[in-house]
Amino acid sequence: MKNRLKVLRAERDWSQADLADRLEVSRQTINALETGKYDPSLPLAFRIARLFGQPIEAIFDDSAA
Amino acid sequence: MATAPNPAQKRYLVRFMPIMAVYVVAIILVSLAFDYLRPAGPLAWALALLPGVPIIGMIAVMGLYLKEEGDEFVRSVLVEAMLWGVGVTLAAMTVWGLLEFYVAAPRLPAFFAFPIFCGVMGLAQPFVKRRYR
Repeated sequence: MKNRLKVLRAERDWSQADLADRLEVSRQTINALETGKYDPSLPLAFRIARLFGQPIEAIFDDSAA
Repeated sequence: MATAPNPAQKRYLVRFMPIMAVYVVAIILVSLAFDYLRPAGPLAWALALLPGVPIIGMIAVMGLYLKEEGDEFVRSVLVEAMLWGVGVTLAAMTVWGLLEFYVAAPRLPAFFAFPIFCGVMGLAQPFVKRRYR
């Protein structure tokens, strides 16, 4: 699923490791999320949304193409 | 698991290593017992089952780790690798069984199921991980 994690992270000047620490996941999880190849669970998606202060649908895009 | 182990991974290693050691000692002692003491009857059965206890322990420790791993992506990679292990083990043992039935292929002891599973699971992990890069 496409997402804006990389952009949101860059806006805050966080590294993948910074974001991983804040979400309490591993850096490889952040990497897999950012490539759009791994879709987070609903609880993790909520944690991401809360961290960035945006609704889930503003971060993740489930439309094909 | 290329990076430093998380608490669940540390617990896994702390549990797994002693059980592995017990297994190695058990298999050596039982082999020696069968070579030199030639046990028979119920004692032989009990001795033969002995190394099975740490094997079951290893499987339980793997299951426990899966339950305790807090990182969902790491867990998902492991589950995929385990499924490769299950699939290849079932396929290999069953298809080899056909060869044993019909063309008298050398016997593949069922004992090898767990080592094959572990080997395939270990080999599959880097490939599964690479798919998410």
